[in-house]
Amino acid sequence: MVMTRDACSRRASLKKTITALIVTIFAQATGNVFLSMKMKEIGGNGWLIFLARAVESPTFWFGTALLIVSFIFFAVALSWADLSFVVPAVSAEVVVNVVFANYFLSETVSLTRWTGVLFISIGVILVLRSERQRTRGESKEILTRIDR
Amino acid sequence: MKTAILIAMMVLADSAGDVFLTRGMKQVGEISIVNPKALLTIGTKVISNKSFLSGIFFMTVTFVSFLIVISWADLSLVFPAKSLVYVLSTLGAKFFLEETVTVQRWTGIVLVCLGVTLTSLP
Repeated sequence: MVMTRDACSRRASLKKTITALIVTIFAQATGNVFLSMKMKEIGGNGWLIFLARAVESPTFWFGTALLIVSFIFFAVALSWADLSFVVPAVSAEVVVNVVFANYFLSETVSLTRWTGVLFISIGVILVLRSERQRTRGESKEILTRIDR
Repeated sequence: MKTAILIAMMVLADSAGDVFLTRGMKQVGEISIVNPKALLTIGTKVISNKSFLSGIFFMTVTFVSFLIVISWADLSLVFPAKSLVYVLSTLGAKFFLEETVTVQRWTGIVLVCLGVTLTSLP
């Protein structure tokens, strides 16, 4: 089967999108761990003192920088793919967040939460499959149009 | 109550941000990371796009409410509470951005939403 250039680029674009989303997810999760660590350390006593102390800390800026990187890759992915694909795909970050919170922040993760993690994983797989089928469907459409 | 209000604000702003951001990025067009020179031109286009900037505004609201709320609540509770964003953003994609959302995709999104709600329980 000969694939048209358009169909090829669409499939390549799905790969690109997934790569961008993986960067988004890991930068986000790592950034959150750093931010949460710092914020808990400062605690919630008075707004201005809280902000001033946060801004002074390198941990805070490192966490923020990671969130910015995550955002850039998210925006780039949105220029390539549908929002209804990108948003649920990025939900894999919840899985990474729960795992990271468990390991790095020593938050206790219950069986219920792990069940949720399983649901999210299945959901993300379904969304990924729907996107793959969509790109495949579009390739077929282009091929039939060429056959005619 | 304080936590609930902040989380509601975070969720609404997050979905609105998603929709505006997507509209902005689609107006600018597909980004190619191969050519660094073109990247600069596209970067300028992106930053001066009104929809993109509105998206940034809503994301800022989301980020600030997120920062405040994680200072007293567990990260593994606050984050999962965002489950509504998935459904709201998909509805936004369908109605404002006219995306086609297949049954399989909706099933996946509902599962994600359920899973996120489950992870938000203690």
